[in-house]
Amino acid sequence: MAASQRDISVSEFFAKNRHLLGFDNPRKALLTTVKEAVDNSLDACEEAGILPEIWVHIEQTANNRYKVGIQDNGPGILKKQIPLIFGKLLYGSKFHRLRQSRGQQGIGISAAGMYGVQTTGKPVKIISKVSVRKPAHYYEIQIDTKTNQPKILNGKGDGIDIPPGDKGNTYIEKHGIEWVEQPHGTRVTIELEAKFVRGRGSVDEYLEQTAIANPHITLHYLDPDDYEYEYERSAKVLPPEPKEIKPHPYGVELGRLAQMLADSEPMSASEFFRTKFSRVTGPVAKKICEGSKVSTRINVRKLDRSHADKLYHTIQETKISPPATDCICPIGEDLILKGLHQVVPGEFYAAATRPPSVYRGNPFQIEVGLAYGGTAPTQNVTEDLLLELLEETDTRTVRQFLIHTFNGLGGEAADKLVKEAGLKTRQNPSKLKPKERQKLYEAMKNVNVAEGQQMEVMRYANRVPLQFQQSACAVTQTVLNTNWRGYGLSQSRGAMPKGPVTLMVHIASVWVPFTSESKEAIANYPEIQKEIRLGLQSVGRKLGMYLRRRLKVRQQSDRREIFLRYLKEVSTAVSEINGAKRDALYDQLVKVAKKHTAEADMKLDDRGRPIDEKPEDMNLGDNVLIVDPSQHKAAINRVDVGEEASDEAE
Amino acid sequence: MAKKRPAAATTRKPKVKLTPRDKKTMARLTGLADRVVKAADARRDPSVDIPSRTLSNVRYSPRKKIIEMGGNKNRRQLFDLSQAKAYMRTMLVASGCKQLLDQGKTTSLRGLFYMLKHTIEGAKENTFDDQNECDTIIEDVEVLLDSIREELHLYAENRGAMVGNITLTDRGDVINCSRMGSGGYAIPSIVEPEVIQLDRKKCDAKFILHVEKGTVWQRFNEDRFWEKHNCILTHGAGQPPRGVRRLLFRMHNELKLPVYCVLDNDPWGYYIYSVLKQGSINLAFESQRMAIPDAKYLGLRSLDYDRCDLSDSVKIALNDNDKKRAKQIAKYPWFEKKRPWQQEINRMLKNDFKLEVESLISKDISYVTEVYVPERLDAKDWLD
Repeated sequence: MAASQRDISVSEFFAKNRHLLGFDNPRKALLTTVKEAVDNSLDACEEAGILPEIWVHIEQTANNRYKVGIQDNGPGILKKQIPLIFGKLLYGSKFHRLRQSRGQQGIGISAAGMYGVQTTGKPVKIISKVSVRKPAHYYEIQIDTKTNQPKILNGKGDGIDIPPGDKGNTYIEKHGIEWVEQPHGTRVTIELEAKFVRGRGSVDEYLEQTAIANPHITLHYLDPDDYEYEYERSAKVLPPEPKEIKPHPYGVELGRLAQMLADSEPMSASEFFRTKFSRVTGPVAKKICEGSKVSTRINVRKLDRSHADKLYHTIQETKISPPATDCICPIGEDLILKGLHQVVPGEFYAAATRPPSVYRGNPFQIEVGLAYGGTAPTQNVTEDLLLELLEETDTRTVRQFLIHTFNGLGGEAADKLVKEAGLKTRQNPSKLKPKERQKLYEAMKNVNVAEGQQMEVMRYANRVPLQFQQSACAVTQTVLNTNWRGYGLSQSRGAMPKGPVTLMVHIASVWVPFTSESKEAIANYPEIQKEIRLGLQSVGRKLGMYLRRRLKVRQQSDRREIFLRYLKEVSTAVSEINGAKRDALYDQLVKVAKKHTAEADMKLDDRGRPIDEKPEDMNLGDNVLIVDPSQHKAAINRVDVGEEASDEAE
Repeated sequence: MAKKRPAAATTRKPKVKLTPRDKKTMARLTGLADRVVKAADARRDPSVDIPSRTLSNVRYSPRKKIIEMGGNKNRRQLFDLSQAKAYMRTMLVASGCKQLLDQGKTTSLRGLFYMLKHTIEGAKENTFDDQNECDTIIEDVEVLLDSIREELHLYAENRGAMVGNITLTDRGDVINCSRMGSGGYAIPSIVEPEVIQLDRKKCDAKFILHVEKGTVWQRFNEDRFWEKHNCILTHGAGQPPRGVRRLLFRMHNELKLPVYCVLDNDPWGYYIYSVLKQGSINLAFESQRMAIPDAKYLGLRSLDYDRCDLSDSVKIALNDNDKKRAKQIAKYPWFEKKRPWQQEINRMLKNDFKLEVESLISKDISYVTEVYVPERLDAKDWLD
């Protein structure tokens, strides 16, 4: 027994437990790979102060096998760091600091590489370039799971340097290395066992949502079917760089505190608290020390576990001002509006950035964006794209196909479409006859699916979209618990509100509390829920005002029409009873109607102003954007597939 | 628009001779239409004032012991968004009735609904989508013109049945209600003297027993209860329609027969009794012709569970709606001052269950006809 007990390497552990990192199935593996690479690229670009431009290329190499290439225009990576970053688990710059960034642990991209090697045997290929004049480095790496060390395969274990200029270009071309010519940047290529799908939880959705929350990036995406998606940046400035902060005493657990004490270089207890934590001043440090009967002058090295225990308890009882919140960089209301408008078709947009707040000693900030209206994705889809979608779907029934393919399309709406198209509910979507396909397409064009459509919620943590475990997430739960009926949406108890609404909720924090390592859902801290709720209410109020005004105006224009509609009936009925002249009576009634509606139009609102404002002209503050939905770029049905229009369909 | 309707039908066909009653109705219809034209010429909203058919507009007359309609009226305007459609429908129903009068025909409520249902010109909207929408408007027109349904040449579906020692004349046919087999005589919707004639000499029955439902009525009929006790047996299939109520009224008054009711012990049953006795809130204008203030409530009583020693299994729990309704009924002015009724309702609420007449079957199939009702009648044990 004793002989068989030995060390477990991190890589071995995660190789066996890959579901912890989001590699549970081929479909998710593909998404996680893209996600980790894109997140790393964005972090790198932003830290270097470069406006990010990302290329994502997914290509099918065999059945169930895909090659994923992600390139950025970032600063490039130093030669000796490359193998470690991509070939060693838990190697990174982000774990030990408290700073708002997308990545946290340093597992992601190397785990993706490991997964690729394990499922296909193909190494991870990295090419990185620091500047135009310097050579680019090219590596083919495998991770050695036993030792958690990278193994370099090319250039006799040293990698290859590709000289700059034309000479390098010919080399790249000759050896079939994938690279979009750039002065600097990094490209990682991983081949892995995967499954490419569209719809919910897909790469398409992830990239679209990323584009919304990061309006400063440009994204080129080539999918396995050779569709090219382009997301142009709508903001030309980088978000301000987030500051790194020291931990706040409230957020430190006992074990961590003991560890910090043990690791500290020799200094007095007072100095230790003042320098290693944020918001601890001399008097506060003194209070902590006195409260736990420790001298302020004692060398921290001499403090043992029992001291740490006392100190920990005193900290909880001592009043310490909340952490500084300037270390958080929200997206900003303006950019949220821009991002949403760029990608989600609609007529009304609102955004709210809450002031920063604190949970367990960690500062965080909540932002909420809302888009209302616009044509449904089903009406935007082109016939060609629909045929493609029908071909590649793995759903069993047309109804399922519709629900899965088109975001936010509820079961009710799907039933309506199927009925309108005259299809049977159990029909297999890939076996539809051409005529039936045509009918389905027409039905999608004609049916108004906005009724019965559910609110779609996009969740973000530090600008990264969260796509799974929706129901476990604090955001979803807060949305469900908010009463949307007051804001002009219909909602059944305990369900998502109905209507063509897209909601985005962003939490920015130096340490986002995820429920698991695969970073899919935000934990339920009451402080976080409260902030989310306040944010939701803020955009909800604006939406309510807009909808009420819209309803009012619509009613007024309906008024005259309704009267005129019934006048014919009334005059016919009356003339049948007493033989009065029908047309003369009708004309007379129309005159009365005109007189009456004119009066009604002049009615004043609560403040005594005549109601003649159009809802588009309402002034609801800076954080609201109202557009004409028919003029919206994404609402127009495009002929060339592969742009946003087709992406909307996902 | 009524494109399909032959607009000139009335002129082409020879005019039917109007009865004096029809003439009166016709005058009222024309008066309504004339007022519309006049208002339009004066550029006013041709609104009509319809007496309101709500609880707030009914008055209980302690002297007459019936519910009477008050003087409140609701104005229905053509140029009001929420009322425009209802106004249009009111005029449609009026014109439909005028056609019926012209042609000397009667039709069912559903028939009128189909007669008037069509798509409005230039819109995707129908004049009526549902028969209920039409039925309420018909009631509005009744109160508006102060003409009852029969005068507008409308009738409802036949509902309710009758059997017993009585012979009557229905449209000239002599009907002997003691020879109606198991089905009984279906009570027509219109039982006015022009249709049904009653004769005191042809009636041997001494009282009328009204039960709630057809199933209970079957039990009594199968046991030949009416023969043994020399009575008339009726049912109204739940809330009795106007035909049944009117016929009960006429038999009660013209033949001087007392009326006893055997209904379920639940708020619904209480209300059926209340409608028979004082008239309904919705049709308060008809109380004069229908309410039977002397009707007696024989059962089921909330004390019957103990009195008849019923088993636990027959209880049906009261739901929230039942409780609410029971409290409402207890507050009606015609129940409020009656101690026995307050006790009865309170006892049901305290029991927290309701009883159906059928629950007596759990004792014996014929318990209700052989023991329960005879005992009550002998003891003169009823609620008034």
